[in-house]
Amino acid sequence: MFKLIVRKELRTAVRDVRLQVSAVLLIGLMCTAVLLGRQGQQQIQAQRAAAQTAMYDVWLDQGEKHPHSAAHYGHFAFKPKPVLSFLDVGLDNYTGVSVFLEAHQQNEVSFSAAQDGNGTTRFGELTAALILQVLFPLLIIFLTFNTLSREREEGTLRLAYAQGLSMRRLFAGKVAATYLTVLLIFLPTMVLAFVLLYQSGGGVAAGAVGKLLALTAGYAVYFFIFVLLCALVSAFTRRSEVALLTLLGLWIVCCIVVPKAATSLADSLYTTPSQFEFRRDIDEGVAGGIDGHNPADERLATLKQEVLDEYRVSTTEELPVNWSGIAMQAGEEYTDRVYDREFSKIEHVFRRQNRLSEWLGFLNPYLAIRHLSMALAGTDFDHHVAFARAAEAYRRNFVRVMNKDMELNHHPGIAFGDYTRGRDFWSTIEPFSYELPGTAALLAHQWRSLAALLVWLSALVGIAIVFTPKISPL
Amino acid sequence: MLQARQLTKTYGDYPALQRLDLEVKGGEIYCLLGANGAGKTTTINLFMGFTAPTAGEVLVDGRRVVYSNQATNELLAYIPENLNLYGNLTGRENLQYFAGLSKKRLNGTEADELLRSVGLQAAATSQRIRYYSKGMRQKVGIAIARAKGAGNLLLDEPTSGLDPQASNDFARLLEESRQNGVAVLMATHDLFRAKESGTHIGIMRAGRLVHSLASREITLGELEQLYLATMQMDVHV
Repeated sequence: MFKLIVRKELRTAVRDVRLQVSAVLLIGLMCTAVLLGRQGQQQIQAQRAAAQTAMYDVWLDQGEKHPHSAAHYGHFAFKPKPVLSFLDVGLDNYTGVSVFLEAHQQNEVSFSAAQDGNGTTRFGELTAALILQVLFPLLIIFLTFNTLSREREEGTLRLAYAQGLSMRRLFAGKVAATYLTVLLIFLPTMVLAFVLLYQSGGGVAAGAVGKLLALTAGYAVYFFIFVLLCALVSAFTRRSEVALLTLLGLWIVCCIVVPKAATSLADSLYTTPSQFEFRRDIDEGVAGGIDGHNPADERLATLKQEVLDEYRVSTTEELPVNWSGIAMQAGEEYTDRVYDREFSKIEHVFRRQNRLSEWLGFLNPYLAIRHLSMALAGTDFDHHVAFARAAEAYRRNFVRVMNKDMELNHHPGIAFGDYTRGRDFWSTIEPFSYELPGTAALLAHQWRSLAALLVWLSALVGIAIVFTPKISPL
Repeated sequence: MLQARQLTKTYGDYPALQRLDLEVKGGEIYCLLGANGAGKTTTINLFMGFTAPTAGEVLVDGRRVVYSNQATNELLAYIPENLNLYGNLTGRENLQYFAGLSKKRLNGTEADELLRSVGLQAAATSQRIRYYSKGMRQKVGIAIARAKGAGNLLLDEPTSGLDPQASNDFARLLEESRQNGVAVLMATHDLFRAKESGTHIGIMRAGRLVHSLASREITLGELEQLYLATMQMDVHV
C-alpha cells in the first residue's frame, strides 16, 4: 500500500506543470551555478598556483645577498582555492587570499574578493549553496504545503480514510514521494559536481570526493527535515493558505531573520577587537621584549651574557657563532610568542562567535547545514585559520633557516655585506604548500552541526510517528 | 447493517446530533432528509469514524465504530458530496488507487469494465478527472464503492448538483446495490430522490430524527408537506 501511495503521488507530481517548470528552472539554475562556480574556482586556483610558483621563482632569483636580507625580502603564501568552494564560497570572499611573509612581522591575510569587488559581492553570489540552503526549502514548501490540507479540503482524505488507509501510512507515503521528487531535482546537480571533480583528477579531487559525499548526505538530511516539517504543518492545518503562510513565515525566520540575528548576537556577546587594536597589542607586546635590532634592550643583554657564558668568552667577536643570528632568532621567537598570544585571543573570540552560531543550529537547521557546508567546502573560518597557521609556520621556518645560517656561517669579522648566499641556498626552502584538513577531521570538528541536524531529524520523525495517526480526515 | 444507538454529538454547547436511534438493514436504502445543519452529515461522519460521538454508539454489522480505529472501515463504502478525486489522474487511475487502498487490486481492464458498468463511457476512463463533470466523478465514486464490495454504503448528498439524467443514472446504480443486499444510508436534500430511491425516509431537524417512516407509506406530496411542517416546528433541545 505504501508503494501504491508513493507511485500515485509521484505520478501526480510528474503531471503537475507547475512542478515541471519549477524543477527545470531549479535544475538549470543549479547546474549553471555549479558549472560557473567550478570554472571560476579553477581559474582562481590556477591564478593562485601560478602566482605561488612565480613568487617562489622570485624568491629563488632574488640574487646574492645576506640571509637576513633574504628574510626581509620575504615571500608570499597564496591560499589555495578549495576545490569544493565552487559549491559553497562560504567566507572565502571575506578572508583574503595571500599573505606576505617576512622577518619580524606577521602580516594579515589580505586582498579579499569583497575588498576588491563591487557592492554586489557583499550581497552574496549565486552559488549552489545559496540555492540548496535557501531556495530548495522554498521549493519544498511549495511542493508540500497543501499535500494533506488540500486533500482534506477536497474530500479525498475522507475517501482515503474510508477505504481503510491509516493516516500514518498516508503521511509516510506522501513524505517519501515528496522527498523522492526533491532528490530527483537535487541529485543531477550533485552528479554533475562529481563529474566535474573527476575531470580535475589528482589528489585534490580524491580528497574532495569524500567531502562531496558527506556534503550530499548533509543536504539530503536537511531536505528531509524540511519535507517532514512542511508535511506536518500541512497535516495539522485546516486550510492550505494558512499552511502556506505558516511555512513561508518559518522560512523567513529560518533562512533570513535568525542567521542575521545570530551574527548580531554573536557580535554583541563576543566583541572582536579592531585591526588597529590587534596590531597595537602586538606592537606593545613586542616593544617590551627582544626585537633583535636594539642592542640596548635589557633582555638582549641578558641573552648575550648567557651566550658568552655558554661559550666561555667575553665578547661576541670571540664567539664561534654569529651573535646577530642568535639575537635575530631570539627576537623572532619572542615576537612569535606575542603574536601567538594575541592571535589566540582574537581567534578565541571568533571561535566563540562561530560556536554560538553552531549551537543555534539546534534551533534552526539552516544554520547547521550552513556551517557543515562551509566546512566541507573548505571555506569556513576554521579553514582560514588553518591556512593562516600554515603560512605562519612556513614563515617561521624560513626565517629560522635564514637566521640559523647566519648564526653558523657568518663568522665574526666578516662584514654584513660580505657574507652572501645565493640560489642554491634559497632553494633549500621548499615552496609553500597547504593541505586542507581531511573529511573525518572536519566532521569531528563539526559535531554540533551534525548533531543539530540529527536532533531535528529524530524530533520530527518522532513527532510524525506519535501524531500522524491523529490526523483528522475532516 | 448500520445501527445508531442514542447517538449524540455536540460541538461545544452546540448539539449537532441528539440521541439518534437508527437501523438500516441489508437491502434497505435509508434516506435522511433535513435542512443544512440538521445533523445528516454528522450522522454519516460518525458512522465513518471521522469524528468521535459525545455519547451513544455506532455499529456496523454489529461491530462498534471506534474513532481513529479504522477496523470497521472495511465494512463500509463512502461517497462524499463533492467527490473531487485527483484531477491529474485518469478515472481509471483514480479507481485503481482507491480500490488499492482497500486492498482490491484492479488491472486496467478490470478497472475499465467496472467504470463502464456504472455508466462511464469507454473513452472517458483514460481521461484525467479534471475534465470530468460532477456526474462522471460520482460514477467513479460508485465504482470505487463497488470495487470495495462492502456490505454498507454511506452517501453524503450524492446527487446535489447533478443534472436529471445523471441523477437518474445514480438512482439506478443505487437500486442495483440495494438488490445486491447492500445497506445504504444516504443524506440528501432531494425529497423526490428520497421518495423514489429510498426504502425508508427519516426527517431530521436540529440534530434530531423527528420522523422515520417507510417510503411506501407516504406519497411524494405528503412527504413534502411533512417535511415543510417539520422544518417549521419548534424542536426542544
